[in-house]
Amino acid sequence: MAGKKLSGAEIVVEELKKEGVEVAFGIPGGALLDFYEALQQAEEIRHILMRHEQCAAHAADGYARVSGRTGVCIATSGPGATNLITGLTNANMDSSPVVALTGQVPTSAIGSNAFQEASTFTITMPITKHNFLVTRAEDLPRVIHNAFYIANTGRKGVVLVDLPKDVQASKVEVELHPEETFPGYKPNINPNKVQTKKAAEVLANAERPLILAGGGVISADATEELRTLAETLGAGVVTTLMGKGAIPESHPLCLGMAGMHGRIYANRALNECDALLALGTRFSDRLTGWQLDQFAPDATLIQVDVDAAEINKNIPVDIPIVGDVKLALSDILKWLKKESIREGSVWLQRVKEMHSACEECIKDIRRPGSSVSDILIKELNNLLDDDTIITTEVGQCQMFAAHYYMTKKPRTFISSGGLGTMGFGFPAAIGAKVAAPDKQVVDIAGDGSFLMTCHDLATCVENDIPVVVCIFDNRYLGMVRQWQELFFDKRYLHTNLGITPDFIKLGEAFGCYAERVEKPEDLKSALKNAFESGKPAVLDMIVGKEDKVLPMIPPGGGITGMIGTERCRRV
Amino acid sequence: MQTRVISLLVEDNPGVLTRMSGMFTMRGINISSLTVSPCEKPGLSRMTVTIEASESELEKVRKQLSNLIEVIKVVDLKEHDAIIRDLCLMKVHTKNVEARTEVMQLAESYGAKIADASFNSIILELTDEPERIERFIELMKHFGIKQLFRTGITAIARD
Ligand SMILES: Cc1ncc(C[n+]2csc(CCOP(=O)(O)OP(=O)(O)O)c2C)c(N)n1
Ligand SMILES: [Mg+2]
Repeated sequence: MAGKKLSGAEIVVEELKKEGVEVAFGIPGGALLDFYEALQQAEEIRHILMRHEQCAAHAADGYARVSGRTGVCIATSGPGATNLITGLTNANMDSSPVVALTGQVPTSAIGSNAFQEASTFTITMPITKHNFLVTRAEDLPRVIHNAFYIANTGRKGVVLVDLPKDVQASKVEVELHPEETFPGYKPNINPNKVQTKKAAEVLANAERPLILAGGGVISADATEELRTLAETLGAGVVTTLMGKGAIPESHPLCLGMAGMHGRIYANRALNECDALLALGTRFSDRLTGWQLDQFAPDATLIQVDVDAAEINKNIPVDIPIVGDVKLALSDILKWLKKESIREGSVWLQRVKEMHSACEECIKDIRRPGSSVSDILIKELNNLLDDDTIITTEVGQCQMFAAHYYMTKKPRTFISSGGLGTMGFGFPAAIGAKVAAPDKQVVDIAGDGSFLMTCHDLATCVENDIPVVVCIFDNRYLGMVRQWQELFFDKRYLHTNLGITPDFIKLGEAFGCYAERVEKPEDLKSALKNAFESGKPAVLDMIVGKEDKVLPMIPPGGGITGMIGTERCRRV
Repeated sequence: MQTRVISLLVEDNPGVLTRMSGMFTMRGINISSLTVSPCEKPGLSRMTVTIEASESELEKVRKQLSNLIEVIKVVDLKEHDAIIRDLCLMKVHTKNVEARTEVMQLAESYGAKIADASFNSIILELTDEPERIERFIELMKHFGIKQLFRTGITAIARD
């Protein structure tokens, strides 16, 4: 396409088309007028006008997590760009591939404190995988190509491209669609054979093998390999929050999420195993607890991660493997081929028993001592099909969902893991529904969280994006209140939400379907009504004001020191 | 804690220095010396960073530096297999003839050059290993150092 003069904005759009971008979430502004003119010409790219840039970033993030494709968000200079920050940080911390395009004041005005100028380039440096400030339109093909390449390879993440107004407007003759990449970026994909062989030997000889599956398993599309390996080895599988869905939680070898709000037997298994294969996880403190001597004390630890900087970062590792999780698992499976794994080992029995104990508790919906919040999530297991995509806000609602919801498929449990961002779930649900319009999408929300981003109900209604928001209405910043109750002598400082709006009226004001669920018995019909309405829906579910997410590891505790385990079945 | 010298080959783009130093800031590591300059490859620069860090901190920061897109190579220079140099410029008091003679003799024995001289001070220039520069500075303190400038360490690995 050389020989033709294109504006910078047109070049960006041409490159977006080449990358296969089908949707972008954004809000225009003075510094993006040229860009939006060019975007309008590209029929293959749908633009969804959001009501807040934070939501644009979360929607792009949700879209990416569900589809595996790079999400795109757009914001204007200054306040538009600064509004993106929370959303971008969130996506980057959870290694979600997102490309952000921001308008910027003209290059001649940069550094002059011009109207709506913020140094987006410097501000976003520590919260992105990489970022660019483009000062010449000629650089755009290479920059955009590499933005997508960097975002969605290796350890995925956020790439931001800052586009000064004059760069968008200037017309230049360039070669489009370059293939050239950067010399300093070569993701380590291929695992070392010596290491995978060693890993296979350790796992084959272990008496009590366990696999810890993190978000990296899902991101690398390695769920089939994970399942095959677990079955071949007779190994238990525990997950992190980000790893939920890496293996069906109904699988007899799956013990569910481990960590601070994890399932008791997932943590027990971590304590008891003698070989631990950690896949695509960064061993955050939410997983390991704070008494590291309780974390896999007898285990030979094998860690697979595509990011070498994660190896040995938080936990010392015996066998490090840098590379793609899918490739590493295939290699380990190849090495294992000849070995025959003992069916009916004592450990296998124990894993299955622990799995059943958890599953029984979850199926026993009204188990004595259950809170309304517990019951609602357990009910959802029966009311939603396996393809339903759950997104969550942050707080008790999130941890009730992580603990009791039985995720069956990868990319169907979308939650803010690293940053713990209230307000994430609803806009992420928007992105999820756009990525998978045929699937039901449900945001498990807290009343506090939902108020942080609820304005984008307007986006849902306008663009016909029927997601269902299930508000766990406890009129509290519940998770913080729980900590105040348990660890600060019940001093509920600034956690009572007081006069929260009437969520039914709020939903209706935006044109949504809205219904109150006073008792768990009403959930079934309310959900049915919500889905059948075909509209975005708000379900205001009244839960116990002082419901607690239990069991949990108290602050400073280790994985065997969970409190509130009275309701768990012992095995 | 130990002094570590890291040599980086980076793309010569605006912002690369901020990006690089941000990796140290995030971990709360102080950069004690830093030199940046063009190198034999057009479009690339070499940075030499000196920090105080433990082995494990160094390992973590080294990996994170390697992750930066504009960083092409990271080398952790071991003292014994690298040539390490620092350049120092200092203005020394020479209140009388004796002091002046003594300063000039000492400078000569250290291989320092006299870059400039005025009636009551001399500007000395010394390029050497950092430890020798330290010793020279200690000596000159006896006469009174008015001003001291050092470029910071630059280093090259032996074959
Ligand atoms: C943006 C943001 N601000 C503050 C917090 C700290 N925080 C964590 S959980 C929580 C309470 C959440 O309340 P709500 O959404 O009502 O959920 P609940 O815990 O009541 O289920 C708060 C304030 C946070 N995680 N994110
Ligand atoms: Mg609440």
